[in-house]
Parts: sequence; C-alpha cells; structure tokens
Amino acid sequence: MASMAVVNLHVSTTTKTHCTLSSPSSSTRKLTILPSHSLLFHLPAIRPLHLHHRSLKPLKATLSAVDTPAVTDGHDEGSKPLLEIRGLTAVIAESKQQILKGVNLVINQGEVHAVMGKNGSGKSTLSKVITGHPDYEVTGGSIVFKGENLLHMEPEERSLAGIFMSFQSPIEIPGVNIVDFLLMGYNERRKKLNEPEVGPLEFLQILSSKLDLVNMKSEFLGRNVNEGFSGGERKRNEILQLAVLGADLAILDEIDSGLDVDALRDVGKAVNGLLTPNKSILMITHYQQIFKIIEPTFIHIMDDGRIVKTGDIGLAKVLDKEGYKSFSVP
Amino acid sequence: MASLAITTQIQAPPLNPKLKPQTNHKPPKTSLSLQATLTTTTITSTFTDPFVLQLADTLEDSLPSLSPSSSLQKLRDTSSQTLLSTPWPSRKDEPFRFTDTSFIRNSQIIPISHPPQSTDLLENLRDTHFTNLVFIDGFVENSVSNLSDLPDGVYVGSLMGVSDERIFKRVCEFVNEFQRGDLFWSINGLGAPDIAVVYVPEGCMVGNPIHLRYFSVEGGNEESKKLPLTNPRVVVVVERGGEVGIVEEFVCKEGSEFYWANPVLEVVVGEGAKVRHSYVQNQSISAAHIKWTWVRQDSASTYELAEVSTGGKLSRHNVHVQQLGPDTTTELTTFHLSISDQTQDLHSKLVMDYPRGYSRQLHKSIVAHSQGQAVFDGNVQVNRQAQQTDAGQLTRSLLLEPRATVNIKPNLQIIANDVKCSHGAAISDLEKGQLFYFRARGIDLETAKKALTFAFGAEVIEQLHCPLLKQQAKIHFKGLLESTQLHSS
Repeated sequence: MASMAVVNLHVSTTTKTHCTLSSPSSSTRKLTILPSHSLLFHLPAIRPLHLHHRSLKPLKATLSAVDTPAVTDGHDEGSKPLLEIRGLTAVIAESKQQILKGVNLVINQGEVHAVMGKNGSGKSTLSKVITGHPDYEVTGGSIVFKGENLLHMEPEERSLAGIFMSFQSPIEIPGVNIVDFLLMGYNERRKKLNEPEVGPLEFLQILSSKLDLVNMKSEFLGRNVNEGFSGGERKRNEILQLAVLGADLAILDEIDSGLDVDALRDVGKAVNGLLTPNKSILMITHYQQIFKIIEPTFIHIMDDGRIVKTGDIGLAKVLDKEGYKSFSVP
Repeated sequence: MASLAITTQIQAPPLNPKLKPQTNHKPPKTSLSLQATLTTTTITSTFTDPFVLQLADTLEDSLPSLSPSSSLQKLRDTSSQTLLSTPWPSRKDEPFRFTDTSFIRNSQIIPISHPPQSTDLLENLRDTHFTNLVFIDGFVENSVSNLSDLPDGVYVGSLMGVSDERIFKRVCEFVNEFQRGDLFWSINGLGAPDIAVVYVPEGCMVGNPIHLRYFSVEGGNEESKKLPLTNPRVVVVVERGGEVGIVEEFVCKEGSEFYWANPVLEVVVGEGAKVRHSYVQNQSISAAHIKWTWVRQDSASTYELAEVSTGGKLSRHNVHVQQLGPDTTTELTTFHLSISDQTQDLHSKLVMDYPRGYSRQLHKSIVAHSQGQAVFDGNVQVNRQAQQTDAGQLTRSLLLEPRATVNIKPNLQIIANDVKCSHGAAISDLEKGQLFYFRARGIDLETAKKALTFAFGAEVIEQLHCPLLKQQAKIHFKGLLESTQLHSS
C-alpha cells in the first residue's frame, strides 16, 4: 500500500538561546468515548468456577522423542483432532531468518496444551503462524484445522473458523472503542453463520453479561481498544474478547506475563469458565504457576524451532529442577 | 511510519533532524526529503500584475459604490491599494510552494454581485434549531437567519444594521486593523459586499454557539471555466470576560459545484475572554476555497479552533493567531481529508510575544488518492518576551494510496530562553500491527482499514464544539470513506 508515496518534510527550527525541544512519541491527546447507552443491565450469574473442574483424564503421554510426526500418543481414543501441525517450518518474512524448523503438534478437542521453552525458541512464532501473522512466512509443512488447510486461509478466515489468539502484547488502537471493535468481530461471526447482525444496544447487553467473568467494570467499555491500559487490563480485555467471540481453539500467548496474583487468578478462572469438552487451549508460558489454575493435558518443550519433548504435568517438575538445559538440542 | 525527533542545543542552528523511518511501516518507494531552515520573504513587486489588475477592476465593478467615509469603503480602498502591488502567487513564492493556484487563475472569475432571489431556495436553508446567520454567495441573508435567542447586548448581523453607536464604533476599530494577509485577504477586502458582525459585550456568556452558515448557490462550470467568486467577511469581537462559540459551516447547493469561496474571519478575543471556534468545510470537490482566519488575543484569553475540511479541489486555510498579552491559551486542532485529486492546505502562524502563553496544535491529514495532496506549514514564533511559554505542535499524516503526497513544514522559531516547546511529525501508512489485530478478530482487511482511517480523523472531529455538528461530520466522513476503495497492503 502507498508504495511510491511522496513525502516532503521541511523542518526549520531556530533557537538563539537555550531551550529544550522534545518530540512527543505519539498523539498528545487522548480520546475517550463513553458509551451513550446505559449499562445497567441485569447480569446473569455466571456458573460457579472450579479450579479443577476439568476432571483430569488419565494421562498416558509418552515422553518419547517428539520429532516423529503425529504425536498422538496419549490422546483419548475417539477424540477428534482439532489442529494438526506437521513438519511446520517458517521464516521471518522480511529477513528470511528461519524460526520454526519442523514443528509437529496435534491438539484434540477438549485438550489443554502448554508450550514452554527458552526465549527465542519459537513459541510465540508458532502461535503467530497459526493465526496467519504477516510477519512470518511458512516455508514447509502443514497446518490442518478441523480438517481444512489453514495455510490457505486469511487471518480473518482463521478467526472465523474458530481460532482465537490472545496477544502477548495487545496493540493500542486509539480512536476505536472496545464496543465498536468487538461488535464488528461479533457481527462477522453472525454473518458467517447466516444469522442477522446485532445492533449496538443488543450487543452491549451481550457484552455486559461477560464483564463479570473477567472481573471488569462497565466503565471499561467506554475506552478505546487497549489505549492506556495497564498490563492486567490488556490481558483481561483479551479474555473478554475470547468470551464474546468464542473459539474452538484459544491460543493464549503468555497470558500470565506481567500479571499480579489476583489478576492471574481472575484471568485463569475466566479461561476455565469458557472451557467445554469440545474446546481446546494452546497456551504459551514461562511460568508453571498458571498450571495450578489452568491444568494442561500436555506440556511441550520447544527449543530451536522444534518441539523437543512432550509430557504431562510431571514434565514441568523436571523443568523446575533442571531447567531447559536438559532439553536443549545439542 | 516516519517519526521526527529534534533536539536543540544552545546556539546550534541549523539543526539536523533525525529521521527514524520504521521500514516495516514504510512503503519501499516512498521518498522523504528533509530540508534545512528556509529563510524566505514574500517577494513583493512594485509593478502591477495585469491579471490582478483586471481582477481588481472586475471586483470594483461588481459592487455598488458606497459613501467614501464608510468603513467598508475604507476597507475596499486599502485592499485595492494592497492588491495592486501584490502579484498573483506562483510556486516560486514560499507560501505557495506546494499549493498550485493556477486552476483559479486559468478560470474566468466572476464576482457575484447579487444574492439569488429564489424564495424556494431560501426556505430550504431556514434552520430554526440554532442561532444562526446565513450567508448566500457571500451576502448576509437576514430573512432565513435565526437570531431570536441572543442575550442582551449581543449583536449578530450586518455592520450596516448595528444601531448601537458604541458597538458600531468599537467594531469599526477593527475592520481596518487587520491588514497583513496575502493577496486573497485583499481580494476579500475589495470584494466583500458586506461585513457581518458578531459582538459579545463585556462579561457576557453566550450559552448556545452562533452558527455562521455559508452557502454557495451560484455555480459555474468546468468546461466554460466560469468561476463565480464570493467574499464573505465576518468580524467577531468578544469583549473582556465574554464567552462565545462560533460555528462556521461551508456548503454548496447541489448542482452548483464549480465556484470559488474566499472568506475572511477576524476574531478579537478580549482580556480573559474565550472563543471556541468550530469550522467545517464541506465544499464541493470541484470548488476553490481559500479562507483566512485572523485572531488577536488579549491577555488571559482563550481561543480554541477545531477544523474539519473535506471539500474543495483546492482548499487552503490561513490561520494567524497573534498574542497581545500574557497568559493566553491557544488550541488549534485540525483535520484535512483529500479523498480525490484535492489539495488540502493549512498554513498556520502563531505569534507569542508575552509571558506564560500556552499553545497546543494538532494537525492531521489523510490523503486517500494518488493525485491528492496535503500541505501543512505550521509556524510558531516564541519571541524574546514570551518566557515560560508552553508550546506544543504535532502533525500526523496518513498516506493511503501510491503517489499520494504530503508536504509538511513544522516550523518553530524560539528566541525566549525559558520555554517548554515540543513538536513532532509523523507520516505513515496504516499500522500493520493494528490491522492484524482486527483481522485476528475476524474483521476483513478493507473493513479494518476503514475503521482505522475513520478513527484517525474522528480524534479531531470529536473536538468540534457542537454535538450535532460532530455527528454530522462523522456521518459525512464515513460516507466519503465508503465511497472510496482503500488499496490493499
């Protein structure tokens, strides 16, 4: 877009004695649009949350080498694969630097997978590649979601197909109100399902009913997307979006980073509240603390662009003791 | 996005602006040129430009002569003198370096000498909701204006209609005071059929904003090059401690798209007084619109301008704000949109000569057409006596099409030594990260682009001082965006 646009910037600044000039990093004004509609709706009580409401299925995850394709061992027989990644390789679009070097991962319906690994091991890249981030280019392998080739889909089609990514650092969108933003996404889903679009008033009702889930006040909805949000507010906002838009596969990219204990509990509870036996989670994390709240079915260790180890919760304990060294590719 | 950071040190002009283009946001073939300080003076010629001479003759002939002692006649006389020593601007003149006025020059300019007489038309223009003064082709039209709701002592209407001698004298003090504009300023002075007045007496707070609605009714056509010219002129005088909102709206009659509006607004803000000025320019996209806004601010006064300009093939707003005492506040918030092959130009000058002044300027422009252009020349002078001035200027431009052009010249001149000044300039495409965030939530690229583009302009629209105007401006802006197909990344 806008290739060959012409920009002429002429700057003249003269100063005869001492003064300080500083360049503001961005807009100096902040715009807040308060929703004109009343938010005093009856909020239905959300169903009780149990930290461990997902009774664990017997885990039979093998700790075998993972570079063999299709790590389906340990999955319940009869459960349907939701996401199948095979031999996935990807590079940074601009520099062509290879980040993913053959990732194999199968997520069945109802499973919670956690991916851990050192900084730079490719965890976040994996989540971005699944959602179709334009900064990365897939050079090999396949991703199949609900039986369809995901790599042929635009990011928005992947979202509508049922993939939701909670961003590690959600971007600020000044001037775009949260309600308007989510209404756009919500109505895109309605359109896809051939259902009539909802109006702003009706939508505000739907939205308000989800606020308690993430422990947010209704004033929050008057704000612009992530603008001036604290770290905790950004994460809560991501989960609010997940709650409103729904997803069959929620990818939580470091949902626990930068959160205090209370916020972590709120966010974790909210995620658990959204889980059903058909829905799956792929979470990327550095910390095991979150496993006490969102219990993983499988833990994968990533190193140098590959999943090098897969196991159950016990793997986290090994990691705790020995660090990533023991899993590093020599 | 390109961002500009400038740091200065003692006696270190000219400065090296550091340009930090973020390559991932910048299209590869975008060219960006930076120029050092340009010190130029407008070239004044001693001989008369034949074209201007002819125009001056046409203007003089178009209007009935007045009593030589009348203020308006004095204005015409001085304007005529100035005009004859001012040549038509060319691209070689610094203030018009990026603004090509040849489209006006190559047309057959026909000053409008009578307002249209159609009563049907007038009825359609009546609006009883607001306190409003209507201008039709530059003429004050009292029959459709609504001035019933004004507080005591406030006068809105033609200068000829002022019955209070004191108000008349006071306003006339200023009519010939402002004589420092350019050629277009003088053309207005010579061609203005009338002077409209908004007078707010000392300590008077005018609750509802006063709307000045300018309609262009007479249209020529592009083929015959007949270009009707209108010269509305307004003087706003707000005495000490007074407060008023002024809303200016420029529109045209459907079907009359080829014309030239050349309005002038002079604003006198008395000591401790406050003027909130909203200006919405929705002219036709074939028209020429060249406006002057000249503001003088006494001590502790406040002037706030919010502008949204979307119309005109050639649209230029010259804003001059002159500080006449300490502790003044000035806020200029402007938004220009070029959705077709339009030139949108803002030339602003803010002169600070007294201590403790405060100013904030935000200028935003969007160019969404390959032959569209935005021009911004924003000059802020912080002179020797203007100590403890706090001046901020920021300009942001969005280029949404290949070959779309923006020429910006943020320009701070600081002589005082105890001041806080900042400025910034950013030119960008829509941010890829933001677009992806939309797409990751199932919103397609085109919708995402429109939403982000809308948000960019809406920040300024929000600053308009009248809720209905705000709403209308948003609908209008949205409609313009819908009418265009934004290119894909």
